[in-house]
Amino acid sequence: MDPVAHIRAGAETGTPWRFRLEELAWRDLVDGLKQEALPFVGLWCDGTDVHVLFLPHGNQPLAATLALEDGRYPALSPARAVSSLYERMVFDLYGAEAMWARDVRPLVDHDVWTSTTPLASMPGPAGGHKGMIAYQPSEAFLAAEGLAAGIGPATGRTGAPMHVALTLAGETIVGAETVTGYAHRGMALRWRNSRVDEACRLSGRVAAGCSAAHQVAFCQAIETACGEQIGHEVSQLRVVLLELERCVQHLYTLAALAQEAGAVLVASRCMWFREQLLKEAAPILGSRLLMDHCVPGGVSLRSASDVGDLCTRLAELGEENYSALSELWRGYPGLSARLAGIGILDRAALERLGLDGPVARAAGGDSDCRRDMRMYDGLWRFTAGRHGGSVDDRTAVLLDEVGESLRMLADLAPRLGLTAGGRIDLSYQDGEGIGMAEGPWGRVLYWVRLLNGRVEHVFLRDPSYPALMAFETVLPGQNVADVALIKASLGVNAAAQDG
Amino acid sequence: MGLIRAVFDATFRQGGARLKPVGPRWPLLLFHVDTGGCGGCGMELQALATGPYDAQGAGFGFVQSPRAADVLLVTGAVTRSMMPVLEATWQAMPTPKGLICVGNCAVDGGMFTENYAVMGGLDRKVQIDLRIPGCPPSPHDVLEGLFSLFGKRLEENASAGQDEGVGSSSTSS
Ligand code: SF4
Repeated sequence: MDPVAHIRAGAETGTPWRFRLEELAWRDLVDGLKQEALPFVGLWCDGTDVHVLFLPHGNQPLAATLALEDGRYPALSPARAVSSLYERMVFDLYGAEAMWARDVRPLVDHDVWTSTTPLASMPGPAGGHKGMIAYQPSEAFLAAEGLAAGIGPATGRTGAPMHVALTLAGETIVGAETVTGYAHRGMALRWRNSRVDEACRLSGRVAAGCSAAHQVAFCQAIETACGEQIGHEVSQLRVVLLELERCVQHLYTLAALAQEAGAVLVASRCMWFREQLLKEAAPILGSRLLMDHCVPGGVSLRSASDVGDLCTRLAELGEENYSALSELWRGYPGLSARLAGIGILDRAALERLGLDGPVARAAGGDSDCRRDMRMYDGLWRFTAGRHGGSVDDRTAVLLDEVGESLRMLADLAPRLGLTAGGRIDLSYQDGEGIGMAEGPWGRVLYWVRLLNGRVEHVFLRDPSYPALMAFETVLPGQNVADVALIKASLGVNAAAQDG
Repeated sequence: MGLIRAVFDATFRQGGARLKPVGPRWPLLLFHVDTGGCGGCGMELQALATGPYDAQGAGFGFVQSPRAADVLLVTGAVTRSMMPVLEATWQAMPTPKGLICVGNCAVDGGMFTENYAVMGGLDRKVQIDLRIPGCPPSPHDVLEGLFSLFGKRLEENASAGQDEGVGSSSTSS
């Protein structure tokens, strides 16, 4: 069966790339997906329907919709492992049950909320649990024999809160499972029926460090829903935001990795370089973490006409510092050796989990949504880097990508000139749209539905979903001392994951 | 959460009954808990801790255990799952101790006002010794806020620090 043709054979909806299936057709789709390699993006619920989104060719979307029957639908997780996180989220928020699901444990609702299934038309009663949340291990985890240990949620480090439950044999991990939901802020509820500008600000606060990517994707989704396209110059300003964000975020991650690996000097060099870039950029763009500069219809920058000069200055800083930093990293005694051979992800795991971004690229996967984006015409180029899939390979790819982003900023400088920036006025019509951006950790994708001039529903795909699964997959067999390194190198982000 | 009562007493100012002398030349040890926000405030704290701000030279250190901490730095809007964790962290800290909210989220929820999962900041729930607003506050804002604990301004100390030869630790340039 060709799942693409199968979906297209469904009933048309108001959105040209979304088709409504009957339950039997949906079940056939799940069966067909077990054999076919159609790239899965995510699954969400809006209370009456469930939707599943794929990207069959490049950035072209294709979605299937199924009406919930008695609050149930056939799960996708038997065919796409990562779907199980979406299914668990849908159950926690709407109470919609995924039949034949691979995992039915709670994901974010740990019985402490003021209502269960808070997004359902009739939310349930408050959770009855008091104190520290209890955790329900999976059967596989219970079967692992060894000493029980745990890390988080309050570790004194700066990442968003999550708990990692471990079973140890000596120092070796035999079983690992994450407990998430500590950072769940109810984004879906906050987005529901929100004003467009408010929704945009929220999308910038899903996960700091990826704010520009989130807001670019969100704004694009709004613009497509309105049938509008922003001008070329403004799109180039958005590329500046995206590439600068990648650069500073990768430096941040590299610093965390170096620190964790004991190379304090390398860590502080990374942070120092990051601060140099931010010191130039913040006064012109308007903030350090690049929040709220991308708005529906355009950009909002403190001084858009100076962005061309800023790019030149950033490229100069790159010239002055990047190669020294890169040499320091590669030559620092013991650093590569500390990172080599740990946390290895192979190609099979990549494909099974649908990983993308630098994590996939460092394991030989070739996925980058910049490839098919008009705004990257003449800027993005394919670069082959290391692909052994270990923490060391991932850091090497991050370091390379810092260099590539700096190069793109240099190329952007003459293109921008004295661009004025600005925004077009959108008239918000009812409809659906999709938008995406290659964030520091991979594809960030938004689907929005506008109704009566407001945002009625938002679905978000962030690389943190497959990253969390990859983290759990890769831990068994590793040394317990490497958990933080592996976590940082995969881009596990509880703030984005919990929503 | 009435349990969390900050006893940020005179110790930080003058002559409290504390064994360890305190003041700008002694590190004030900070323990950070993210209680559920976007993580931006945490990133700025990290920039302060490892970037070229010389937080340690200015008398502040970050620790990985609440048992070693003087001050609890809270970021994030305080989700219902994190509240008991925050409480336990506070209980684990030796007295005297202080509570500082970094960022709008931690103060009053900021963008993440109260809902089914979120309590919406610590304001009016517990005694807060210092509020550092912003979404997120910059590392400089945070450092300035911390300095105000000593009744000093950042610039004053920067020159004083140099005169006294206070060592720099986190700058590698
Ligand atoms: S105050 Fe702003 S930057 Fe800080 S955690 Fe909250 S949303 Fe993020």
